[in-house]
Amino acid sequence: MPKILLVEDNEMNRDMLSRRLARKGYEVAIAIDGREGVEKARDGAYDLVLMDMSLPEIDGWEATRQLRAAPETSALPIIALTAHAMSGDRERALEAGCNDYDTKPIELDRLLAKIQALLPGVA
Amino acid sequence: MTGPLAVTVSGLRHDLRTPVNHIVGYAEMLLEDLEGPPDAAPRLALQETLGAARDVLAIIDRDLSPSRPEVSPRELAGLYDSLREPQGRILRTMSDLLRSGAEAGDGFREDVERIVKAAERLVVPDAPTLADGTAAAAAGTPAGAIATAPRAAILVVDDVEDNRELLRRRLERQGYRVEQASGGRAAIAAVSARPFDLVLLDVMMPDVDGYEVLEQLKTAPATRDIPVIMISALDDMASVVRCIERGAEDYLPKPFDPTLLRARVSACLEKKHLRDQEKEYLAQVRQVIEAARAVESGEYRPGGLVGLGERDDELGRLARVFDGMAQGIRAREERLRDRVRDLRAEIGAARGSGKQNGTVIDGGNLQPGERFAERYEVSAVIGTGGMGSVYRARDCELDEEVAIKTLRRELVADETLIERFKQEIRLARKISHRNVVRTHDFGVWGGVHYLTMEYVEGITVRDLVDSRGQLGVSASLAIGAQLADALAVAHEQGVVHRDIKPQNLLLDPDGVLKVMDFGVARLAEYQSTLTEAGLVVGTPAYMSPEQLLGEAIDGRSDLYSAGVVLYECLTGGLPFDAATPVSLIAKLLHEEPRSPIDVNVDVPPALAGLIVQLLAKQPAQRPPSAQDLAKRLRELE
Repeated sequence: MPKILLVEDNEMNRDMLSRRLARKGYEVAIAIDGREGVEKARDGAYDLVLMDMSLPEIDGWEATRQLRAAPETSALPIIALTAHAMSGDRERALEAGCNDYDTKPIELDRLLAKIQALLPGVA
Repeated sequence: MTGPLAVTVSGLRHDLRTPVNHIVGYAEMLLEDLEGPPDAAPRLALQETLGAARDVLAIIDRDLSPSRPEVSPRELAGLYDSLREPQGRILRTMSDLLRSGAEAGDGFREDVERIVKAAERLVVPDAPTLADGTAAAAAGTPAGAIATAPRAAILVVDDVEDNRELLRRRLERQGYRVEQASGGRAAIAAVSARPFDLVLLDVMMPDVDGYEVLEQLKTAPATRDIPVIMISALDDMASVVRCIERGAEDYLPKPFDPTLLRARVSACLEKKHLRDQEKEYLAQVRQVIEAARAVESGEYRPGGLVGLGERDDELGRLARVFDGMAQGIRAREERLRDRVRDLRAEIGAARGSGKQNGTVIDGGNLQPGERFAERYEVSAVIGTGGMGSVYRARDCELDEEVAIKTLRRELVADETLIERFKQEIRLARKISHRNVVRTHDFGVWGGVHYLTMEYVEGITVRDLVDSRGQLGVSASLAIGAQLADALAVAHEQGVVHRDIKPQNLLLDPDGVLKVMDFGVARLAEYQSTLTEAGLVVGTPAYMSPEQLLGEAIDGRSDLYSAGVVLYECLTGGLPFDAATPVSLIAKLLHEEPRSPIDVNVDVPPALAGLIVQLLAKQPAQRPPSAQDLAKRLRELE
């Protein structure tokens, strides 16, 4: 069962997305801010990170940069999620080291396709 | 376009798309769970909600293009107006869904409620945007928390006009009602004249400065609870601290940041709202406490808590239960009054018939007119019995009518028994109740041991039953309930009467029952047990099986006797009838009594059942306490 780390500060977003992913057969772990996200990603064996970009402590951009800089997480697939959905956000996310980018509200099928594409052994 | 009033698009998009994300996510998840036909109502409601969420997204993308950094206030107002329509659709369909009671698996309702919460955050999350009920109806918003919340009133106090104007426009845009004051004096005048929900207060002002305004607001009881947000320059933290120490809720740094303004104003108003609710709640709790006091003093009018009872929370439930109980008590009191009235009628009839006996019986040691114990003047002999004689007398010291009971010499021959008897009397003297004849003193005079007690002008239940043959149900219940009350008080103090019988129950002309001889029966028991002396004293017909057998007894033995008294009142006869004392005792110990209903068909079945229960051979099978008996007798229709 693929393991996904969901880094998200908004409680309702966490509840909703983790439940929807669990229904699709993913094991979901939660981090509630950027710092916890980085720590968990380093410690745990995750297959993929879903990273909200506006996070307290350290934001998603910075968390992504830190994960990329550390050898043990430099290759971990990261999908950026943002509700701002401003022009240029996608480019910024990719620049920061994210593998892909998606917007909220989540379109589940679209997000699942992006996750599948990035999971080991698939891409 | 990028003026001081502009709002950043990026933040707004985030604020609006986040609730849309919740709405879409939960609605899709709920749809996945739904079973049943494609046109089932819950499915249609969720699809309607998804459609409305898509409309919200389209409006966001139209008015808040991802490529532009800021929007003007006018554009923002237009955006909010447009959002109200799809928001209204979501709130309406989801409220209907909740009301319909639809369920589809665990957590269905909770998820629908999450959708409602998210939708409520769409349009200016921190302020009631809709001015009042009529505007709400016009905007098509369902009647709910949002539509009915009154507009919060904010007072902006600043000596610089530009600052005031800026705040006014921002706050009004968020739906608040704003008033301005150009200085401290004007601020205090405004607050004293009208209620405000929040004051935004500048520190430095020429006439009366912010500190003093704050001080005055926080010391006056009427304005103490209005939250105050200080307006201050960012580099002036010392004055901010000083204000917060004096009771300000928060501060806003200049220049104003719109997001911060919105957040702090909204948080303050929320706190104020909660505090107001709490105050209202406490006021209602006080109402319930007042009602409890009124019940105690007999002034409560059922229905007095009607308004409170309409609350659908715990307090409302408490009020409803309370009112119901008060009505029950009132109904029982009315029943009791009716019963006592019937009882008085029976007493009056008995007196009229002139058949009652026991008024003057000769044979006592004392003679009318005799002075006894140097303080009592005997006026009449009112009875003699196994224990001795009873006289009516005047206490010359206190100028008061008393009853004197002299004890037969055989009963008081043993000094140690006298000591134990005194012990009993000391206990009995502590019982103070309207249904108990008060015991005054115990003494010896001229070799005669005697008790003095309250004199009650009245008739014994013995005389009443003998004269009337049998009593009505209502009169019997009045006797039973008052007897049970007296026993409840005595038993609570550890006193068992041991000789409850109609001869010991006095009724005054108002129908108030008085139980006599608490503590006295013990004396006879010491002296002669049944087995030794063969029924010298005591009245076996009214004695419980355990008392007859000389076993340890408690209050439940009195309950048995009360059962016999009630039986006799209702039927005119005893539960067991026998030619000789020995056969009576045999029956009493081994036979079941005839139900009173078999003797008198007018006895209500519930009352008959209760009496049979009182007459149970085993104490454990009787009602558990006199209090319980009193309650059950009063509840009988």
